[in-house]
Amino acid sequence: MTKYIKYVDVTKCDGCRACMVACKNWNDLPADPQDFQGSVQSHPKVSADTWNVMQYIEHENGKGDLEYLFRHSACFHCTDAACEKVCPENAISYSKYGTVVIDQDKCVGCGYCVQNCPFEVISLKEYVDKNGDKYRKSQKCTMCTDRLEEGLQPACVTTCHTGSLEFGEESAMIKKAEQRVKEMKDRFPNAQVYNPQGVGGTHTIYVLAEKPSVYGLPENPKVPTSAVIWKDYAQPIGKMMIGATTMAVVGAFVTNNIISKRKALKEDRGEDHE
Amino acid sequence: MSNQNKPDVQVRRFSKGFVWAHAINGIAFFALYITALPMYTEFFDWLYPVLGGPEGARLLHRIFAVIFCTPTLIYLIFDRKGFFRWMKELVTWKKRDLQFFTEFVKELFGFNFKHVRQTFFNAGEKINSIIQILCAILIIFSGFTMWFPQFFPRAIVQWGYVLHNVGFGLGIAVIVGHVYLSVVHKNSRPGYSGVVTGKVPAWWANDHYTEWYEEEVKKGNFPDLNDPKYKKEA
Amino acid sequence: MADHYAPLRSGTDIPFIGGMINYALENNLIHKEYVAKYTNASFIVKESYKFEDGLFSGYDEAKRAYDKTLWAWETTEDGKPVKDETLEHPRSVFQLMKKHYSRYDVDTVTSVTGTAKEDYLKVCEMFCSTGKAGKSGTIMYAMGATQHTVGTQNVRAYAMLQLLLGNIGLPGGGINAMRGESNVQGSTDFALLYDTLPGYLNMPKATVPENATLAGHLAKETPKSGYWTNRPKFIVSLLKAWYGPNATAENEFGYQFLPKGNKNYSHINLFNAMYKGELEGAFLFGTNPVVGGPNAGKEKEALANLKWMVAVDLWETESSAFWQKGAGSDPSKIKTEVFLLPACSSYEKEGSVSNSSRWMQYRWQAIKPLGESKADLEIMNELMLKIKALYKNESTPAAKQVNAVYWNYGEKEVDIDLVCKEINGYDTTTGKLINGFGSLKDDGTTCSGNWIYCGFYPEEGKNLAQRRDNKDTGLSMYLNWSYAWPMNRRILYNRASADPSGKPWSKEKQVIWYDELQQKWTGYDVPDFVATKKPTDPGFSDPFIMIADGVAGMYAPTLNDGPFPEHYEPYESPIPNPFSSQEINPAIQLFDGDFNKRGFKADYPIVATTYRVSEHWQSGTMTRNQEWLSELVPYMFVEISEELAKEKGINNKDEIIVTSARGEVKAYAMVTKRFKPHTVNGKKIHQIGMPWHFGYKGIATGDTANRLTPHIGDANTTIPEYKAFLCDVRRA
Repeated sequence: MTKYIKYVDVTKCDGCRACMVACKNWNDLPADPQDFQGSVQSHPKVSADTWNVMQYIEHENGKGDLEYLFRHSACFHCTDAACEKVCPENAISYSKYGTVVIDQDKCVGCGYCVQNCPFEVISLKEYVDKNGDKYRKSQKCTMCTDRLEEGLQPACVTTCHTGSLEFGEESAMIKKAEQRVKEMKDRFPNAQVYNPQGVGGTHTIYVLAEKPSVYGLPENPKVPTSAVIWKDYAQPIGKMMIGATTMAVVGAFVTNNIISKRKALKEDRGEDHE
Repeated sequence: MSNQNKPDVQVRRFSKGFVWAHAINGIAFFALYITALPMYTEFFDWLYPVLGGPEGARLLHRIFAVIFCTPTLIYLIFDRKGFFRWMKELVTWKKRDLQFFTEFVKELFGFNFKHVRQTFFNAGEKINSIIQILCAILIIFSGFTMWFPQFFPRAIVQWGYVLHNVGFGLGIAVIVGHVYLSVVHKNSRPGYSGVVTGKVPAWWANDHYTEWYEEEVKKGNFPDLNDPKYKKEA
Repeated sequence: MADHYAPLRSGTDIPFIGGMINYALENNLIHKEYVAKYTNASFIVKESYKFEDGLFSGYDEAKRAYDKTLWAWETTEDGKPVKDETLEHPRSVFQLMKKHYSRYDVDTVTSVTGTAKEDYLKVCEMFCSTGKAGKSGTIMYAMGATQHTVGTQNVRAYAMLQLLLGNIGLPGGGINAMRGESNVQGSTDFALLYDTLPGYLNMPKATVPENATLAGHLAKETPKSGYWTNRPKFIVSLLKAWYGPNATAENEFGYQFLPKGNKNYSHINLFNAMYKGELEGAFLFGTNPVVGGPNAGKEKEALANLKWMVAVDLWETESSAFWQKGAGSDPSKIKTEVFLLPACSSYEKEGSVSNSSRWMQYRWQAIKPLGESKADLEIMNELMLKIKALYKNESTPAAKQVNAVYWNYGEKEVDIDLVCKEINGYDTTTGKLINGFGSLKDDGTTCSGNWIYCGFYPEEGKNLAQRRDNKDTGLSMYLNWSYAWPMNRRILYNRASADPSGKPWSKEKQVIWYDELQQKWTGYDVPDFVATKKPTDPGFSDPFIMIADGVAGMYAPTLNDGPFPEHYEPYESPIPNPFSSQEINPAIQLFDGDFNKRGFKADYPIVATTYRVSEHWQSGTMTRNQEWLSELVPYMFVEISEELAKEKGINNKDEIIVTSARGEVKAYAMVTKRFKPHTVNGKKIHQIGMPWHFGYKGIATGDTANRLTPHIGDANTTIPEYKAFLCDVRRA
């Protein structure tokens, strides 16, 4: 199947935030008002009810000029997703489009994915059921997988009026991003494509005007080593050990019984065991 | 020594403080185990409804997590002396302790074995204690980061998951053996009632913890089983 | 993202652009042939034109007005302007302009605007490079240009610069107003402004004696050349649309029914009259002056002087609730009877909007109106039918006017299609739709509600505004998408893209050209005149057909405040005017007393400006009642520079108080690098900015910025000067 990805060209973004509203509209998310942030930015970062947030960054470049940078931030939909790896309930999976989705029925709200996401884009939402009991679920951008299934593009992409957001075939998008970076080099010498390979590449790639760190992005994100050790070594070995000790005691139980019977026989014959 | 002619003299092996601490520790451990199982493996997902859903399981896990932290204190407060003896024994290792293991395996599987002279705790119990203490530290501290991730750097929380997992896997593996020996295995069974009542048969104590028993005899606390009067009685 | 950013102190657009005009002239970067042939730069101005120390000749200080006849150009015996296409004559517009803007040298300009010199020079160099054939540049502006006491002249300055560079009538050229809402263009086209009739026909004022009769009015309004020679056809067709069978040749097509007001009915003047108790009632159709009006505190007080007020809106606005406690009013003391009619939103009704490119785009109803809300058209229709019923049996002059109105848009329910047809126009005898305004007549046989739109509905079942063909017909013209007035033309004055002989100035920017073979004009756009006319036919080398002389106005002797844009400081300014001893625009109307207190530098040393954010719309009525938009910009804030914050001991996110001579507002401080103090005349001048969306109703609430802004307007349009006033800030 052809791989489709979201393309974000921050150099074309005008910060209108229609993507944020379109996301809430399609996904039926409630308003999530915050305290005054001291800047144009409305939310400090993505949250359980706000799956994409427009970042506003006042950056002084090397020449001392002020650059007012915007970035549409949301889940990257990693090819090797740490959240998928650490989810104890297999609630997180890759859809056939490569998007990373959370099965809300399976999610138990443990928050392992929240803590292990290298981009910090997953949040827990607290709900109250009809008995008044609270429960939690992990929430994040779904890349509108439900729309993709209907042959539509993600809501944020559809609404974007500057061409900053696009959704298309992976190689074409990467080519476009590389071309755009070339065009922008004069204006933004640090411009670069952000498609981190540490997580196997992402299903949202960026044309960034500045270094990733300027946007608060990790320069080389990867699945946390701890998660690899945990899921690929510790847990399987742990399970093996439990199995081994269990087998040992079962073995002990059996041999004890056999030996006891023999002893009983011997004693019947009047033999001393010592 | 034959089973038929054992004197039924009981001696106090454990203080009340220890008994309580051990009981709470054990109950909390298993409660934590049960409430964590469905998250450890999907095989046990059926436990969720029993535990009141993931939220119920989480709540119970946290209640027992707090309880799990208390035995050390109980032991320390109510049996200070015992606690320090335990600590001291854990760091005291002699050649015979290694010998113990070879004999232990024989005993475990019911083959003929001979008792290696041991102090208050035998080498197996010491190993069990050390592993459990390490696991408890791992589990408690990593659990803390998992419960309150907002107060810790993400890397610490991420490693917390691993350590919790390791601590749990290791702990449960050892516990399986520990429980088997006390509850099921015929030779250590008196140990089980001992940890519940605090008292064990004198002969059993003498067999398994010879050095300790003899010390106590010297102090005049325990009866000397070699005293013919016991043999007579038997 | 901008390639280059050159900030300027608010209220100094004329120096900024004037300096660019000077730069283009000094460095000979202009498109000379274009200037000579297509603008009035070659016209010779009469000797009576003078300019001294900021004043043009003919100024009457008592009236604060000019005698504009002194600015006229010399004419030949047959009334044609005298020209010198070499542009050398010392009294040619070109030479006068050159002299006028020679005062706007780079150093003077940057010392007034506060722009860094190298930034300013880069803008000059970059933009003036579009004077070459094959290049074009555009200027996009919004309220930041117009909401000044020199608003009209700001835009005039843009036009002059673009004409000098030959950038009008070409793709990628022009001056483009970024409309503040989807239908500003439409509302202006349809005479929302008090002094026009639909299609930019002038409202006849009784003070002009010629307006006593239709014949007199037509004679006065109709020039001898240019397309406006057809004006009588448009006026008569409009009267026929409004008065139908009641408009006959005998009764001057109902001309006498037209109200002929004499006053300036602009927003400030209406509220001034209201403040003085001269108005009885008011309709507020989707307008919220208690948030959006200048000196809004006073506007709120003024509303209390009305006997009745009808507000038509989607929500209860701060204005419709001006009498409530939340507005700071004492309800027991307010006698105004207030009616709130629920209006439905654009998604709940059918109709069209016209954008800044003059595209009339039809929209369909998406959902039925909620509750009792109704479309404006339904409300107007019901209202008019009620009024007509009330006056039916009366014979007062007012009744005559009302009874004469031909109001026939459906029996039970109003039919918008009938309104569309009337706007387009039809043959009054056959009812056949008119194919374009070229077919309108002045004998009463045609009607058209708005001549500039005539042609959008050329035949039954063919409303061209409904077209949605998104195929590029060449040069991104999309000729089959909706309808652009006039006659589906996408680039106004596109004749100017070709030289006088009909050859495009360049291959890169060719729009239309004369095809000798076909003996007609052809190209990507609809030519701005009869396509079969030869370039050399009389009048057909003049591209600016809507201007009497057929050429663009480098010099505009019709404006109230001078034929050339000249810099005056805003009504409230932190510095004396460096260009002349005239501090403020000499031709603006002054409102004094309590209605408009004026602040001075000593008390209010900081320049302030207001603006909007993309998440909120106008006074916020529609957006501050919407959760998803409210969360994006939930609080009233004031943007201040790090330098000013330091001086005032203000930290980011602090609550601060902004004061002006007229009031104070509380808001959060948004300390930002994006605002920097300007160095003006060597001194540091601070500027702050704030959104004007907030009020006390809705989800996102906050203090109203317009409590600070002054009641002062532009000399030509009276648009309020929201964009430059003085204030002070302190921590709350």
